[in-house]
Amino acid sequence: MTAIRRRIAPYFLLGPGTVWLVLFFVVPLYYMGKLSLNSGVLGENLHFDWNWSNYSEALSAYDTQFVRSFLYAGVATVLSLLIAYPLAYVIAFKAGRWRNVLLFAVVAPFFTTYLIRTIAWETILSDESPVTEFLHAIGLAPSGHILATGSAVIAGLTYNFLPFMILPLYASLERIDVRLIEASKDLYASATQSFLRVTLPLSAPGIVAGTLLTFIPAVGDYVNAQFLGGTGNRMIGNVIQSLYLSQSDYPSAAALSFVLMALIMVAVVIYIRFAGSEALMGEEAR
Amino acid sequence: MSWSEPGRRLRTLAIAIVALGLVVGFAACGGGGGGGIEGSGSTEAETVKLEGKPSGSVTISNWPLYIDEGTVPAFEKATGVKVKYVEDINSNEEFFNKVQPLLRNGESGGRSMMVLADYMVTKMHKLGYLQEFDKSALPNVEENLAENLKHPPFDPNRDYTAPWQSGMTGVIVNKQTAPDVRSICDLFDPKYKGKVDILNEVREAVPLVMKCEGVDPEKATEADWMKAIDKLKEESESGQIRKFTGNDYARDLTSGDAVAVMGWSGDAVQLQEDNPNLEWRMPTEGCMLWSEDMVIPVGAPNPTAAEAFMNYVYDPEVQANIAEYVNYVTPVEGVKPILAKRSPELAENQLIFPSASFTKKCSPTPQLEGEEEVNVIKAFDAVLNG
Repeated sequence: MTAIRRRIAPYFLLGPGTVWLVLFFVVPLYYMGKLSLNSGVLGENLHFDWNWSNYSEALSAYDTQFVRSFLYAGVATVLSLLIAYPLAYVIAFKAGRWRNVLLFAVVAPFFTTYLIRTIAWETILSDESPVTEFLHAIGLAPSGHILATGSAVIAGLTYNFLPFMILPLYASLERIDVRLIEASKDLYASATQSFLRVTLPLSAPGIVAGTLLTFIPAVGDYVNAQFLGGTGNRMIGNVIQSLYLSQSDYPSAAALSFVLMALIMVAVVIYIRFAGSEALMGEEAR
Repeated sequence: MSWSEPGRRLRTLAIAIVALGLVVGFAACGGGGGGGIEGSGSTEAETVKLEGKPSGSVTISNWPLYIDEGTVPAFEKATGVKVKYVEDINSNEEFFNKVQPLLRNGESGGRSMMVLADYMVTKMHKLGYLQEFDKSALPNVEENLAENLKHPPFDPNRDYTAPWQSGMTGVIVNKQTAPDVRSICDLFDPKYKGKVDILNEVREAVPLVMKCEGVDPEKATEADWMKAIDKLKEESESGQIRKFTGNDYARDLTSGDAVAVMGWSGDAVQLQEDNPNLEWRMPTEGCMLWSEDMVIPVGAPNPTAAEAFMNYVYDPEVQANIAEYVNYVTPVEGVKPILAKRSPELAENQLIFPSASFTKKCSPTPQLEGEEEVNVIKAFDAVLNG
């Protein structure tokens, strides 16, 4: 009995996740795939006819927004990493009894909805706000407005996705066996050397997970561009939204979503190749 | 996790389950006719069926800040009907695209009444998504509807629409920072670079630009539309236009991020409470006139109560409360003397009771159709998405 039970148990454990994936990912994906090969717009003879040209047209018509989305998301991810790494490092190694307080501070903004947090940035970056005036005064921002520009969109993306970078980084840094760092010091490694050759490689899974968790949702984001962007700052998510809700062009919207998904997948695969799958899987994969 | 012999079998099983899901998905789709969103609905409009006295509960969808706080409770008290008043409409097009899948199947998503623009209700009527009224329950509408609104081209006998409010689209300026903006063309004055918001409503923004270019929107060809859209594209790329907005231009105006915008007449009156320097101006080229209508969608539960509500808001005393709060052009006769007693200022306000000479250069919202509608919206959205 126990042997059978032990063999069946994993199937049961896999069950809920699989059902969830199939119902809310695979099935919708199938419908979307079919929709992307339709012709016509909603209400005006929408029909299925293997219309592959939706894909080529979507790509050529909105290449600017694709490039822009990847650029904004890329910059936001790098900025997040630069901000998050030192912070996660301090929380993991130096915070002592403040550790939980700091972790709470990282998560605290989540108690407010995403939308409200983004709208708050409208006030922060407003033309006559103290922040904007300060940035102008120290010459960090060029003349003109900051809100309603690409910089504001990137700032919003960085802010909104920062916790997704901090938490995995913290988790991987916190697991590092301090004795390894001590050992490197015993072997006469300088602080820089022991960071570069021990801490950094051991935190690689956190870096990979963090960058992916930041980059992927940031590419498809449209809320930040909607509120913080101006003319010429819309991202691919905004295009999909307007195709869907204003032009009733469901096929092109679906095709664009697929193209976006494919491009992200390609980018991620290249990245993981580059970063090494070992880093992604962590120590267990060795 | 290590994948041993039973592990491998497990993986096979997982793949099998996914495959099964796919098969089920395919089958469900084959039966469901591809999600059922192809083609267009029937065009035969049915008529509302009334059932005795209004009772039960009713759900009404409207735009935000479009009614005073007292009217709904007063209606509930007067009739015993329980009202779920939802402010879930933010854009005609977005709302339409959200509810269309329901309406196609003859459902209204629980809504008994909703308020949408003239052009949108026309489109919905053509698609067979709206019911015609039983006018026996609407005596106030018959009696008090403003004469100039009684026979619009899209619904000559007001069979399926009753105006909620009307209004004007022109410019809202900050008197201090943009004192000399008096026309649509002035919005493109380089002095105000990066401080100008343009509406994201294609049927208002583009015709206003046409007016700046000297084209009459009522006689505009598709080429005129495209030319005006090109002008917007140019001003957007040069950075003259800060942002394309809906109601959210209010934020930019009150924070000082924008000094002049295309905007709606009623908003300005409410914005003045935040900043007395803000003012709606009739552009020298004229304005756009629009009107939004109460309609009863197909499949609406409790249309009896919905009609009772429509009739109720057409009582001049009730309408006076709404007009006093929203500050748009009221479609109900007999409101002016009531408001004159309460506050003579409101009764003299050209934005609430515009005179014929005040609006003489204004144009009605154009009705775009078919291929032209698709092309124009596509071109306009391309500018929006820059």
